[in-house]
Amino acid sequence: MLDEISGAPVFTGERSRAGYRLNRMAMSLTDPANRAAFVADETDYLHGMGLSESEVDLVRRRDWKGMIEAGGNIYLIIKIAGALGIALYEVGAHTAGMSLEQFMAQRKGR
Amino acid sequence: MGRIVGGIGSSHAPSFGPVYDKGQQKDPMWAPLFDGYVPVRTWLEALRPDLFIVVYNDHGNQFFFNSYPTFALGASEMYPQADEGWGKRDLPDMRGDPDFSWHLARNLIDDEFDPTICQEMSVDHGVMSFMPMLTDTRWPVPIVPFAVNVIQHPVPKARRLYKLGQAFRRAVESYPKDIRVVVFGTGGLSHQLQGARFGFTDPDWDNEFLDRLETDPEPLAALSHREYMERGGTEGIEMMNWLPMRAALGPKVKRIGRTYHAPMITGYGLLALEPV
Repeated sequence: MLDEISGAPVFTGERSRAGYRLNRMAMSLTDPANRAAFVADETDYLHGMGLSESEVDLVRRRDWKGMIEAGGNIYLIIKIAGALGIALYEVGAHTAGMSLEQFMAQRKGR
Repeated sequence: MGRIVGGIGSSHAPSFGPVYDKGQQKDPMWAPLFDGYVPVRTWLEALRPDLFIVVYNDHGNQFFFNSYPTFALGASEMYPQADEGWGKRDLPDMRGDPDFSWHLARNLIDDEFDPTICQEMSVDHGVMSFMPMLTDTRWPVPIVPFAVNVIQHPVPKARRLYKLGQAFRRAVESYPKDIRVVVFGTGGLSHQLQGARFGFTDPDWDNEFLDRLETDPEPLAALSHREYMERGGTEGIEMMNWLPMRAALGPKVKRIGRTYHAPMITGYGLLALEPV
């Protein structure tokens, strides 16, 4: 079974199962009212969506790499970032173990 | 009888729709891409199409992993735009053609393809991001969206998607009305949105894909998922969505337009073909 390609997790059924609650919470943010509730009180919203303490912690710490490792799908996880006004580059760089500045500097060097 | 009169492959992305909406097509970073859509739009209008079949993938907007369809066929009169988490673009809902959708459903199932049939369905940037560059945003041409799971593995094989395009052609040609159909395949090209290779694109692979899709597409249907993801990124596997478009056109095609540009973290491609 394909599980990883060049250091990127492949979003398998197993990952989808592990990340189910996290991804479901992320999808809920396609509703503007839910985005407002999330931004107003993150912890309360995340508990209300049934996330575990470790999942709440990943979101609170903006640990995008950790969210992907916990079964987050990138297309869902960027909805969390979107609600918080954080851009894809910052999320992606973090999943690669870099800061946004490091990522941009590396790109310039290419 | 219906006829397939054209095929268009296009990248889709949340990024370039809003760039277009803001009228920044001439921005030097984007102009090489947007300029390519202009002659294709002129050609498409001159074709006088009656219907667009759009093969794309949803990004956790219409479908969630509670029940994620491998193939989903729209059969609605209207397809609202999905809010993907950052608000909608200022665009009207898209029009559908449920009569054709149900004809397509019957024919696909006769052909041993079994899509989930959706009488309510929103569409995301997989359909809408590039559409305003190719047609009037009052949407004069109805669409039939056809969503393919390329995000939760196991995903369908490339060969299956190629055969799907051949089934589209049979379905169009058995339609009693004289309609002119353009098939779209959208997604890709190379991009990697997470993990150690974040930001990866491969213009060589993307251009090889565009070359082969035009002139000798069948071997692309034999490539494995591993090959698509190693060469184009785990998210770049979306480019398999272009295979049904190409297969629907039949063996020989004439190229109308082709553009490639990789300004950010996605290899953007556009390919317009006519059957001969």
